[in-house]
Amino acid sequence: MTGVVAGRVTTRADIGGAAPARAAAISVIGSAIGAVTDADGRFLLEHVPAGPIVVRARLLGYRNAERAIRVTAGDTVRIAMVLVPEAQLLSAVRADTRSVDVEMFETRPSVGTLTLGAAAMAGVPKVGEADVVRVVQLLPGVIARNDYSTGLNVRGGEADQNLVLLDGHPIYNPFHLGGLFSTFMDATVGGIEMMTAAFPARYGGRLSSVLDVRSAEETRPGINATIDVSALGASAKLGGMFGDNRGMWSLAGRRTYADAVQRIFTDNLFPYHFRDMHGRASYAFPRDLTVVLTAYVGKDVLDANLAEFDTDTAPSRATQGNWAFDWGNRVLGATLTKTMGNVLLEQRVSTSSFSTLLNLADGAFSQRNQVRDLRASGSLRSRAGSHDAAVGYEVAAHRLRYASGSAETGTTDFDLVQRPRYGAAWVSDVWRLSPRWIVEGGLRAEALNERDWRAISPRLSAKYFLTPDFALTAGAGRVTQFVHSMAGDGPLRYFDIWLASDSFIPVATAWHWVGGLQRRMGEAASLRLEAYVKRYDRVLEANASDDPQRRGDEFFAAEGKSYGVDVLTRWHRGEGLGGWVSYSYGVSSRSRDGVSWWPGHDRRHDLDVVGTWRVSKYRLGARFGYATGTPYTPIVGQVARRMYDPSEDRWGTGEPRLFIEPLGGRRNGARFPSAHRLDLDASREFVARGATFAPYVSVVNAYNAQNVFVYLYNYSTDQPTRRGISQFPVLPSLGVRVVF
Amino acid sequence: MSSKLLLFVMGCGLLTACEIDKVGIPRSNARVALHGMLSATAQSQMLLLERTRSGTAPSYDLSDPVMNTSLAVSLAQVELTTPSGQTFFAVEDRGQGAGIYRIALAGDALERGGAYLLSVRTVEGEVLTAQTSVPLGTADTIGEQRVFDRSRDTVTITWPVVAGGARSYMVRIETPFGPRVFFTDSSSIRLTGGLRNVDVTSLTRVFIPGFPQAVTVSAVDSNFYDWFRTENNPLSGTGLVNRVEGGIGVFGSLVRLHFEEFSVVTPQSEPASGTFLFEGTLLERRGTPNLSIELYVESRAARADQADALSGRYERRPFLGMEGCATCGLLGNVRNGRIELAMLRAWSARDTADVFTGEIRGDTIVGFYRFGGGPVRFVKQ
Repeated sequence: MTGVVAGRVTTRADIGGAAPARAAAISVIGSAIGAVTDADGRFLLEHVPAGPIVVRARLLGYRNAERAIRVTAGDTVRIAMVLVPEAQLLSAVRADTRSVDVEMFETRPSVGTLTLGAAAMAGVPKVGEADVVRVVQLLPGVIARNDYSTGLNVRGGEADQNLVLLDGHPIYNPFHLGGLFSTFMDATVGGIEMMTAAFPARYGGRLSSVLDVRSAEETRPGINATIDVSALGASAKLGGMFGDNRGMWSLAGRRTYADAVQRIFTDNLFPYHFRDMHGRASYAFPRDLTVVLTAYVGKDVLDANLAEFDTDTAPSRATQGNWAFDWGNRVLGATLTKTMGNVLLEQRVSTSSFSTLLNLADGAFSQRNQVRDLRASGSLRSRAGSHDAAVGYEVAAHRLRYASGSAETGTTDFDLVQRPRYGAAWVSDVWRLSPRWIVEGGLRAEALNERDWRAISPRLSAKYFLTPDFALTAGAGRVTQFVHSMAGDGPLRYFDIWLASDSFIPVATAWHWVGGLQRRMGEAASLRLEAYVKRYDRVLEANASDDPQRRGDEFFAAEGKSYGVDVLTRWHRGEGLGGWVSYSYGVSSRSRDGVSWWPGHDRRHDLDVVGTWRVSKYRLGARFGYATGTPYTPIVGQVARRMYDPSEDRWGTGEPRLFIEPLGGRRNGARFPSAHRLDLDASREFVARGATFAPYVSVVNAYNAQNVFVYLYNYSTDQPTRRGISQFPVLPSLGVRVVF
Repeated sequence: MSSKLLLFVMGCGLLTACEIDKVGIPRSNARVALHGMLSATAQSQMLLLERTRSGTAPSYDLSDPVMNTSLAVSLAQVELTTPSGQTFFAVEDRGQGAGIYRIALAGDALERGGAYLLSVRTVEGEVLTAQTSVPLGTADTIGEQRVFDRSRDTVTITWPVVAGGARSYMVRIETPFGPRVFFTDSSSIRLTGGLRNVDVTSLTRVFIPGFPQAVTVSAVDSNFYDWFRTENNPLSGTGLVNRVEGGIGVFGSLVRLHFEEFSVVTPQSEPASGTFLFEGTLLERRGTPNLSIELYVESRAARADQADALSGRYERRPFLGMEGCATCGLLGNVRNGRIELAMLRAWSARDTADVFTGEIRGDTIVGFYRFGGGPVRFVKQ
């Protein structure tokens, strides 16, 4: 005996009138029944057991609202709920997203899916700057090779196998400084969703994970600002609402200033900085039509006139030339959503590009890699009965260019241009078979013109509720990838040099198999455990000896396998202790031509304990990590490479161009020692002149653990030596956040 | 680009990193490294045999070709079989030439397009084998000379496309800071006076006034091309394309298609530039090491507090038993009338014979040598 609950949720701003509460999570406490409000704040709960229930509404930045009602069998109960903004304390401005977590648990199989809200990330100790990708590294199944890389290895996958989305739009190479920082400014991040296995059918194009970074929504009226000043750089975000609170906007910018600070103290130059601009605007039009615009521009600049460096020598520095090295992203995307009864129409268009340009000595040598992604996608989602079905499409036109040459000498080393066009159609259905069963199935049909490639990738996941708070999960899916990075398998991931599958480069494919359990322990705590197997039918390995003047040798096609277990337990409250403990056990292997090896990111054990303690205006954070070592190739000797001088027809030292090069031993035949680290963070909030100030101090590697980054070898003496180079030493940093 | 990028990123990372331990490690097994070349312009063919560094040799001198005796592979049996089946045996140089082997086969006698087989057997019983095919193409054995004013000249060098056996063309330009070397599939290049040397980290100019600079274009086989276009990753020690069976190295072949020497100049309009002759008594003249210096302003300073760069050449006073160059290169700088010149032992910036420090007084340079004494005076002509 069931009934229906229909309702509308609005938000009440401190100033101004009410506005529809779009995307609020609606749930029936004590059951798996839930929904999400549409653009007009409306929702519909079907198959609600007759009798007394409590309906809860949750939305970022607002206090939860609950309403007790009685459902009559065969009838519809109509209710209205109002969400009130959280108090204007900084910790509340960074809204908590636990509601999303609960919503996911109750309404989706959510296999391999993790969410983190801004509040959960806020207390994590910072490496100079708060960084969402560094927080993602602390989740189970996610491996960071070392402190110097934010490249993610997810469940045994390579770092180019992650689809990173900004508000649903793809972004390539979202890193600064060769991977030390991500492109996402902390103040602009509202939360993240990380899918590590068997993603829903709407996602494609990467083998290992989907990281969807959601921009923070400005939910306060008037013009508001968030300013972050740290030892590395400064960022500012302005935002507000307009149009009777139907519209929101925000604009943020960041620039590092180590280069400028350096000039104050010394004539020596540090000619590097990076900068970001991130804008977002949304407007809820009448008739349930909402448009969201997202824009991002980021650039790293390393431009130096070596002749301007300080130390003078004979011959003079005046002889020296220019070095220009710039790289960055551009993303512009729009999302249109329209609700028509139980049907939600969504349409996205975006352009995303990433480029690197190395220009030595004003054109004496230049090398560039560019990837441009022009994309349109859409979906039609219908909620009817126990089905939440969707059908969608995705089409993308890419242009990739990898070129090298010298404008000065008029020579071209290589100039590879690819224009792949990709199309996909997908269908999915979340089917609540019964109060105990949720099944999500989907099919993704894909095609790539450059290779005349077509595939159908099935996705299936299911959740079985043993109790309303305890569920078993399972999932499987096939995934494919047609853009690949030539960055290789080294401990440092600098820039992904992208190439696409074509007649020479195959499409990579893999299968995911996942099984696990999820347990909610009250509103504040949860536990999830997942075991996985990932089988790579074809994983591409960059050829370190690739001849760029010839096609077909860019990659080797290898086979691979990864398996392991991930455990995550989280607890989060508005006050007091919150955080999570994540543990990952993983094994990865690759093989080609009868030879097997552990890839460089193969890590057996990875433990992270993250805790934040919020008491009144104080917030303390700590993170302890322990990770067993990753493989590396030991150096077993060195060889002198001689130059041949054709003008004198003799071998010689060739002046400075005699290279002493290392000789590698068995591939990844050794492992670095285990690494461990404790990071601490403390901040205090206080209000003055209408603004909230939150100065903080962070200490990375508080007890100066000497974790090995790489080994450097010297075989040129009669006693060969090996030096260890450390990962982060003790790194204290200071900063302040100001919100008004 | 990858190695440059890797070094850059490593540099950024290592800004915060530090050395945490240095330990002795076991010695490894040394392999035999071969550098062999068949050149169509060589009088005889030259090979180097040495051992890879394994921790069994003392420190070595990078500027010494091969030939630390504990690294050189001596007394090896080196055999070259021509495409027509003829066999040549290599002879090892004596004395300082340990590990240097020569095959008495002139370049103009090389059979083009056929496979040359090289076999090396060391005293220890190691066997190395490799093969190469000498590209077609007409060898440039003579070479030309030209005066190249880098302030205004642009030279386009073209060469005939080699019909067979050539994987690529290697362009090499000698400079005092090290050669600029690159491969191209094109059959022409353009050389501008302002071209910079991206093979040198400081990105100095390729053409340095006062210096003679050889420019060669060679057709090379795939062994040579693949060995020199690749490099081992500094961290993983992999990446080199090695086609020597039983060892490591290269056995390649090369045909020099173009050879000329640029005598590089630029206008001498600044006070510090020009030709300066030694001025002194006959007695002083007999004691001075150098008779003249020819100076050019190589580059102007980028900052007011730095010096302009100078380059040029100097003429040594001849004497009985003199060795080395009669005219040699110099590099230096000048700021506020103070001048410092590194008098090079030949034409390489790495090897300084003496340093002259002085000042410009009108048309005269007065100063001292670090080793050659002074004061000496040079007067502008």
